[in-house]
Amino acid sequence: MDMEVFDSDFKVPGKEKKKSYEVDAESLSQAQVERLMSVDVDHIRGIFGVDAPVASLLLRYMNWNKERLIEKYMDDPTAINVDAGISAADEEPKVSRAASTTGPTRTTRSGKLSKVKSPSPKRDEPFVCPICFDDTQTETLALSCTHTFCASCWNAYVTGKIREEGEHWIRCMAEGCSLVAPDPFIQQALGDDTATWSRFQELLVRHFVSCNKNLKFCPYPNCTYTVSCPAAATKSSLSTIVPTVTCGAGPDHKFCFGCSVESDHRPVVCAVASMWLKKCHDDSETANWIKSNTKECTKCQSTIEKNGGCNHMTCKKCKHEFCWVCMGPWTEHGTAWYSCNRYDEKASQDARDSQSKSRASLERYLHYYNRWANHEQSAKLSMDLYKKTEQKMEEMQITSELTWIEVQFMKKAVDEVFKCRMTLKWTYAMAYYLERGNPKELFEDNQRDLEKAVEDLSELLEQAIEPAEIATLRQKVTDKTVYVQKRNEIMLEDTANGFLEGRWTWNATVEGFE
Amino acid sequence: MDARLRRVNKEIADCKNDKSSKIELELVDDSPFHLKGSFPGPEETPYEGGHFEVDIRIPDSYPFQPLKMKFITKVYHPNISSASGAICLDILKDAWSPVLTLKSTLISLQSLLCSPEPNDPQDAEVAKHYMTSRSSFESTARYWTHIYAGGPDPNSGDGGKGRSGQKDEVAMAGLEKAHVDQFEAIGFERGKVIDVLRRLNYRGANVAKITEDRVVEELLKP
Ligand SMILES: [Zn+2]
Ligand SMILES: [Zn+2]
Ligand SMILES: [Zn+2]
Ligand SMILES: [Zn+2]
Repeated sequence: MDMEVFDSDFKVPGKEKKKSYEVDAESLSQAQVERLMSVDVDHIRGIFGVDAPVASLLLRYMNWNKERLIEKYMDDPTAINVDAGISAADEEPKVSRAASTTGPTRTTRSGKLSKVKSPSPKRDEPFVCPICFDDTQTETLALSCTHTFCASCWNAYVTGKIREEGEHWIRCMAEGCSLVAPDPFIQQALGDDTATWSRFQELLVRHFVSCNKNLKFCPYPNCTYTVSCPAAATKSSLSTIVPTVTCGAGPDHKFCFGCSVESDHRPVVCAVASMWLKKCHDDSETANWIKSNTKECTKCQSTIEKNGGCNHMTCKKCKHEFCWVCMGPWTEHGTAWYSCNRYDEKASQDARDSQSKSRASLERYLHYYNRWANHEQSAKLSMDLYKKTEQKMEEMQITSELTWIEVQFMKKAVDEVFKCRMTLKWTYAMAYYLERGNPKELFEDNQRDLEKAVEDLSELLEQAIEPAEIATLRQKVTDKTVYVQKRNEIMLEDTANGFLEGRWTWNATVEGFE
Repeated sequence: MDARLRRVNKEIADCKNDKSSKIELELVDDSPFHLKGSFPGPEETPYEGGHFEVDIRIPDSYPFQPLKMKFITKVYHPNISSASGAICLDILKDAWSPVLTLKSTLISLQSLLCSPEPNDPQDAEVAKHYMTSRSSFESTARYWTHIYAGGPDPNSGDGGKGRSGQKDEVAMAGLEKAHVDQFEAIGFERGKVIDVLRRLNYRGANVAKITEDRVVEELLKP
């Protein structure tokens, strides 16, 4: 084992070295992304001599690809102005700032009604909005096409597009008219509805982010932060790193920059994680039985229900102690013989005929799936159990001398167990696809050590808490937590280094590895 | 008054007053937001002489969202589902504009009957039929108009040979009686033969391309 890895765990103040399982990423607020957008808008504005709303429409039309936009614009400005909804097909594009075609034209009943194309009312007749048929509306709006409608119809239309359809590309309401409403027009149509206006701006930001490979919007509901992670922008980068990033707005705002399989599937890379999930999905029928929460004691056959995260089970009836995962006696798990995590490949090697081969391959899969699913389930159960413990700790805080700070060690331990079980879960997906050999064995050594440490801590957390022994328990739990943390670091660090070094080889074709 | 209700009421009134377009609207369960529209099949098309009914639902955000329409009358047309009456028409989706009305949309449906768009089909089998043999397609569409839309009997001209009043399943499927008889004679059930030949598009120039074995193979499938 690399001792330097160990050393880095004793956090030296001031020496914040990036770990190899971490990735450089930056969180950007909506305002910061808007500044990036306005840099592009200003750039285009300067080159073409158009105003900002026109430049913005052009960029949005070209999915913010500046180079392609400049190329197309130089080639045929009229065509692109028509395509981007800036001017109508028969109209000459007006590019000078003074003669902007996109400024909203707000008119009143006595105003520019003669510009309305159809149906064209006479000057002295009141304006009848062709959408709501209301002749009492005095305020009207039109884009440069002069298709005039009342302000309240524009408001309802624009609001619906933004709120219900999440649309930022909003066309004129007239049939067949392809003019697109520029930002100042949208703002005017929305009037004092600032909530919808900010939703519109968020949609613009989201569109910009979706067009930029270096950026991703935080998927957390209602979060408006963006993460910039150029290191993970290319597909090929995803075979050497697992880009788990966060926008920093909260502990739940963590996600994988490379995929949407799971927010944090370290240590395994995106391609393997998604292969594994696909396999689990395809084989869900055969594996269903494992998910059940009850099993039978291997000795007395009485039903045993799992209600905590710990896998060390004791049959209530016959007191037989066994491992929930492999159903083997627990006594072996406490020793150096522990090998619950390793699949014995002998069975599949011995298989000769196709039937026993397919049974062996199913058994092999179930070995990994069983442990994968179990860590997920145990992680959830340990959270449930903690809620009960928390209650007890609160009571103790009232009845004993302990302070709030002093009872926090349990919370910290449970959080660590949860985190490590997630790591363990994904190590089983990885081990399933790892080619047999020395690197896999070392991988499984790390896995075993982490698993053993997590199970020990898990067991400690499920013990009955006695106020008199709280100090001892606290010491034990704290020590174990530190150790577990270390084992997790080693697991993540070593696997990540393996990806960077190209150490891992697979027993199946994995995208990005050739 | 609610803007949507005002607009819908005015549209219904306008439609009542306008006798020239032959578009009719009536309320379903007394709600102005659930209507039944109808219009005559356009002249010089296989739909001529038929009376076509359309179910219309007016969404809450009308007219900013498109009307929801589907044919109640069964229609044989590439852009209309022969089973459900669902319609594939751009203005009922992305190309909707709030200035469109009940009347103008129904007129668009009427003109859709004049000019099918087989490249953007709603009913793939009907579209294939349309592409393979226009005349066969038209006679099937005419037959459907007669059976479902009260159109004239296409066979009444040939000395009353047609079995009017009774549905001819072979004509409904747009197939040749001789082809159906041929496979029925081998020993397959008539309904199944019609179903398979329709799915294979056993019509016009296609007949030469599909071997008898291929048809039998399909017929043998459970
Ligand atoms: Zn209006
Ligand atoms: Zn317009
Ligand atoms: Zn976030
Ligand atoms: Zn990923």
